[in-house]
Amino acid sequence: MNVGFIAVAVAIALPAIASAISQGWATSSAVNAMARQPEAASEIRSGLLIALAFMEALTLFSWLIALLLTFRL
Amino acid sequence: MGQAFQAILEEKIQEIANVMDHLMRHEVWRFGPVEISSTVRNTWVIMALLFLLVYLATRRISERPRGAQTLLEIILEFYYSLIDGGLGKKGRVYLPIVGTLFTFIIFMNLSWFIPGMIPPTTDIMTTAALAITTIFLVQVVAVMQKGFIGYLHHFGEPIILLLPMNIIEELVKPFSLTIRLFCNMFAEKMATSILFILVPLLLPVPIMALGVLMGSIQAFIFSMLAVTYLATATHGH
Repeated sequence: MNVGFIAVAVAIALPAIASAISQGWATSSAVNAMARQPEAASEIRSGLLIALAFMEALTLFSWLIALLLTFRL
Repeated sequence: MGQAFQAILEEKIQEIANVMDHLMRHEVWRFGPVEISSTVRNTWVIMALLFLLVYLATRRISERPRGAQTLLEIILEFYYSLIDGGLGKKGRVYLPIVGTLFTFIIFMNLSWFIPGMIPPTTDIMTTAALAITTIFLVQVVAVMQKGFIGYLHHFGEPIILLLPMNIIEELVKPFSLTIRLFCNMFAEKMATSILFILVPLLLPVPIMALGVLMGSIQAFIFSMLAVTYLATATHGH
């Protein structure tokens, strides 16, 4: 077992934490907004999906980096 | 007892390593110098399926829709609502681009549920081809809408100093589209396969149900981003 695997674990864990927190914030404000204004729900939902995709992408980029690091080790 | 457990564990780890190889593309046929990989074959199967479905659904088109035509019209309404959100009513000329992207990607993502099929979107080549085609088309649409001078002019907006930033922005777009679709599908398929090896009974079912949701959302996101890029290309920033 190589010590470098710790680097891989950190590389995937830290962005996952950050992206989970930011997605939670975005979703909670979007649900708040939907509860206040149900008539605007569809527009808020499509905006939320786009925003979530961008946040998700950062974790996935780091997952790719972690995968490449694993092959290097 | 301990040794038997260790043997089982090592066998499982070997199987997980094999999953990776299974998801990778491999050569199936070869015509002289042309290599037909498994991804291309699977894409052909999906294209044939789509052609067949659309042919069967549009065979008897009438003023008063019934049967499969009703379903097609609901799908068309969904595409119109997707385009109207970003481009307005005038943007409906771009329906062929956006509709094709959505239909093709959702069929590729959900082809995981055909036994023995590996979705072509788990190969980075497929997603790269889709993303590069989309972005190239967006550039062509921008040139057609603004003229060549206007197209070059938008790289120098709002001031000429931001020229490198604007060029980098255009170059990053296809890359991020590629990685987003590929990573989502590949990670999801990997996770499901590994879970299936560890606990084959019942546990993978909810994850696969989540896979249906993920596949449709990724197709939606891809076409939504295509609409957004088209909107910036036609209207400016």
